[in-house]
Amino acid sequence: MIPERLRSNLKREFDRSLLAKLGLVLLVGVLLMAVFAPIIATHDPTRTGYVDENGNEYPPRGAEYTTQIGEDGEFVEVEVEPNEEHLLGTNNIGQDVFSRFVYGARTSLLVGLLGTGLAVLMGVPFGLIAGYYGGRVDDVMMRIADVMLAFPSLVLALALIGVFGTSGIGVPDPIVMAGLADGMPESTAIPGTVTIVVALVTWVWFARVARGEAMSVRTEEYVKAARSIGASDWTILRRHVLPNSLTPVIVLATIQVAAVVLLESSLSFLGFSGTTLSWGYEIQRGQDYLRTRWWIATIPGIGIVLSVIAVNLLGDWLRDALDPNIEGERG
Amino acid sequence: MTTPDDILRVRDLSTRFFTQEGQINAVSELDVRIERGEVFGIVGESGSGKSVTARSIMDLVESPGRITDGEIWFDDAELADAVGDDYPDAVDGTLVNLLELPERVRDSLRGTAFSMIFQDPESSFNPTLTVGEQLAEAVEVQRRASANPRSTRARTREYSLASYALSTVLPSRKYVTPESRERAIELLELVGIPDPVKRADEYPHEYSGGMLQRAMIAQALAGEPDVLIADEPTTALDVTIQAQILDLLDDLQAETGMTILLITHNLGVIARMCDRVGVMYAGEIVERGTLADVFDDHVHPYTEGLLGSIPDLEGARGRLEPIPGNVPSLLDEEMADRCRFADRCPKAMEDCLEHPPEYPAAGSDHHEARCVLAETTYDETRALSEDHFGETERPAADKHAGPEEPDEEPPEEQSHPPTETTGGEHQ
Amino acid sequence: MALGKFLVKRLLQGVFVVWGVVTVMFTLRAVSPGDPANLIVGEAADPHLREQVREQYGLNEPIYVQYADYLQGIVVGDFGYSFQSGRQVEAMVIERVPATLELAIAATIIAILIAVPLGVISASRRNEPADYGATMFSLLGISTPNFWLGLMLILLLAVQLGLFPTGRRPVGLAEALTALATTGYATGLVVWLKHIILPAITLGTYFTALITRLTRSGMLDELGKPYVDATEAKGLPAALIRYKHVLRNTMIPIVTVLGLQLGTLIGGAVITETVFSWPGLGDRLIQALNARDWPLMQGIIVFIGISFVLINIVVDALYASLDPRVIDE
Repeated sequence: MIPERLRSNLKREFDRSLLAKLGLVLLVGVLLMAVFAPIIATHDPTRTGYVDENGNEYPPRGAEYTTQIGEDGEFVEVEVEPNEEHLLGTNNIGQDVFSRFVYGARTSLLVGLLGTGLAVLMGVPFGLIAGYYGGRVDDVMMRIADVMLAFPSLVLALALIGVFGTSGIGVPDPIVMAGLADGMPESTAIPGTVTIVVALVTWVWFARVARGEAMSVRTEEYVKAARSIGASDWTILRRHVLPNSLTPVIVLATIQVAAVVLLESSLSFLGFSGTTLSWGYEIQRGQDYLRTRWWIATIPGIGIVLSVIAVNLLGDWLRDALDPNIEGERG
Repeated sequence: MTTPDDILRVRDLSTRFFTQEGQINAVSELDVRIERGEVFGIVGESGSGKSVTARSIMDLVESPGRITDGEIWFDDAELADAVGDDYPDAVDGTLVNLLELPERVRDSLRGTAFSMIFQDPESSFNPTLTVGEQLAEAVEVQRRASANPRSTRARTREYSLASYALSTVLPSRKYVTPESRERAIELLELVGIPDPVKRADEYPHEYSGGMLQRAMIAQALAGEPDVLIADEPTTALDVTIQAQILDLLDDLQAETGMTILLITHNLGVIARMCDRVGVMYAGEIVERGTLADVFDDHVHPYTEGLLGSIPDLEGARGRLEPIPGNVPSLLDEEMADRCRFADRCPKAMEDCLEHPPEYPAAGSDHHEARCVLAETTYDETRALSEDHFGETERPAADKHAGPEEPDEEPPEEQSHPPTETTGGEHQ
Repeated sequence: MALGKFLVKRLLQGVFVVWGVVTVMFTLRAVSPGDPANLIVGEAADPHLREQVREQYGLNEPIYVQYADYLQGIVVGDFGYSFQSGRQVEAMVIERVPATLELAIAATIIAILIAVPLGVISASRRNEPADYGATMFSLLGISTPNFWLGLMLILLLAVQLGLFPTGRRPVGLAEALTALATTGYATGLVVWLKHIILPAITLGTYFTALITRLTRSGMLDELGKPYVDATEAKGLPAALIRYKHVLRNTMIPIVTVLGLQLGTLIGGAVITETVFSWPGLGDRLIQALNARDWPLMQGIIVFIGISFVLINIVVDALYASLDPRVIDE
């Protein structure tokens, strides 16, 4: 599917770019972490308990911790500094920060990949049709795109969430189902609304790129020739225009995954997420404890930075090797 | 080694490109002697190293290319005087070896000692500044240089970021002065651009190709250079415009008496313009001499091939017929120590397996050829077999005509490896 | 003349875009679940009162009448009334503009002052340590979520080192300047400055990184163009070539990219303001969102849309005046 020339370009760029290799290692790391989260995590990330079934195992004896007693006599805040049991400490309600860090990769990558995929499915056909037909059709469609661009993506996403709310779709966790991990949540929540919303606010960049490609292909001789022998518009779009726009779309999609991961983290930081197992959400939680428990907000941020760097490095590699001319926006 | 009326003498010049694929010998041990006031032509196929030669003289060779060896002696008493104390090795009488001078001194010769006309006028002007402004800059270079000749040594240091920053705020500190703008308009008029006052305020994209090439000639003349290097000055132009541009160059040369180094793949242009000519092949000059020597008494089979089918020598339409075989690889590792043309030569003999020196040839004193045929006659019994160089096609007599490939210089191309970055925006 | 025509065309397109933004927002509001009256008077309110409120806010009109009314209001600058506070939306928007503007401008200044020189150095010392440093910096900058960066800055510089204050700023630029003019004391200005530095860095880092990248790659592209050789051949001083020719041509397209990135700047401002309790539009937008205060939310977003359109027209005009080829195309 990939032409030989492109493949050799990809390989050459990869061989000479240390950063591309770093990006690949990072990305594989984050992906493994996301997929095998139940195995890697040391604790159930959703478990808030200070007191376990036996009554006194959390926090482990000797660990430095603070507790507060709520009005009805329950412990409502338990914070534990990093120790042997809790590698990165616990958050304000006693959840294991390391385990939540591991699971957070799932949310980021799921939203990043699904949201971008959805945006490609929306934006590319839109752009191809606008660019291929040109004229009035193009005018109207591009004005619609202009309207979309006038909304900052985060702001539009917030407005859309204001309408549709946030919801998560619970999906059974295959690793746990396969019996590879004990004591972990049996299902993972995909933040459905957020995924759709990020696609709704980013598809327009794909439309612009696809349109540009379609416009340049439209005037090529072989397209004219195909038309002259009676090929239908649909056939031409599918056989000639779409394949030509693939390269820039792939590169843009890579970069957009990074943008969507950032957008998702921003939304969950603001409290709009379909799941609490999200890096952004965790940072927001840690915001109030900066003075005393700095790790709660710090650790998840490192996760975001590393995954976004990984995707950006891969995007740079693809862009250098494939050399399309594109633009996009961060959320 | 010097003749009094030589303005430029290039000796043993080697320019190489150090690419990922290996070392490319774009120009190898090249000797050229150019007399003051003459028009010297260099002709050759794409990738023969003629443009690299020009750029080497201008010091415009870019990384990963580098002049690795040789001397470029330039006759300029004033310069010799100015640099004699600091760089005694670089000076011999009134001659100065430019390659012995530091970069900043060499740079200071651009525009005033040497200037250059490029192949494609449309991409050789900055698209966002008016033509008048760009001409005025060239005038300004000359104006500042002549105001203080000795300062040529440090001229490039004079202007810094601070100067530019200041000039964006204070109009009086602008690099280009009103006088230079006046002069730019005169220059436009000189090269035959109608309504120069108005045209000076127009941008390059508002000019036609021919007009823009005239403007580029005007720009090259602004510094009143001693040597004008014209690198394919007519290649990018329409046929009818080509003749006009050549006429213009001819007139200007007659008027100013400047020396012109004309680089072209077009023998018609050579015949029309030059006094003497050198034929370049694979980074070296294979035959040189007066027009008569090269056109009528040529020795080298490559020259023969070049002349093979020129439809009309007088017009500017002469096009090279492709010579059978591939353009030779200039990769160091692939270059054998033999006549570089042997694998395409219809008259290759056993003698050709040794790299030939330049032999004097019949005709004028200037006539030399890098070919054993200057000394001996072709002897079929010693001819190399057809498949001596593997699969390379080497047909003898019948040649097929066809248009030449667009003129590109492969070593040049390789001098810009794919950059690590591209334009466009991220995220 | 040509520029005028170009601007008129862009202005007409801009009007269309603003209309589109208004319509999208109105549609979102119309399809959003829940009775707005509940948001104003509460679900348990007396039906009479509720009916009164519906009447007052025009919620009983058919939807197309509400739409027409809203559009008409926008044209004359009437954005309706906030559900929550009952105040005029336009007033609630306008009073928050200066803080956001101060923040955005400060961030932009920081970004340009750092990024352009960094990009130039990076491009002119390609593959040297300075270039690698700048590349790593810009990679980190575009990959760091600004809310986290803000928290880390607070943690390190404000909490640990105590260099900067935390909490909401007590004084805006206008007040600080008024105080300076009337009393002659600059203390207010200093307080303002101390409060704006961290948010401005937070918001500006992404742009610094982005502009550094764009400048570097744009300059490398530009340096490879034939006109640069021609300019060198003329004998122009290197600094003149680098700045007047190459950098200038590099920055022209970057300006338009930044115009399009204005959305990112505003989105970033929303988050930054939340982190630093900065009393700007973004802060108010989040409040409105949490309270489901649709008129206010709508007003803020439409205002942002109008600003986006206007600024991009200015950017286009700037582009056209810098690169003469644009209009002729």
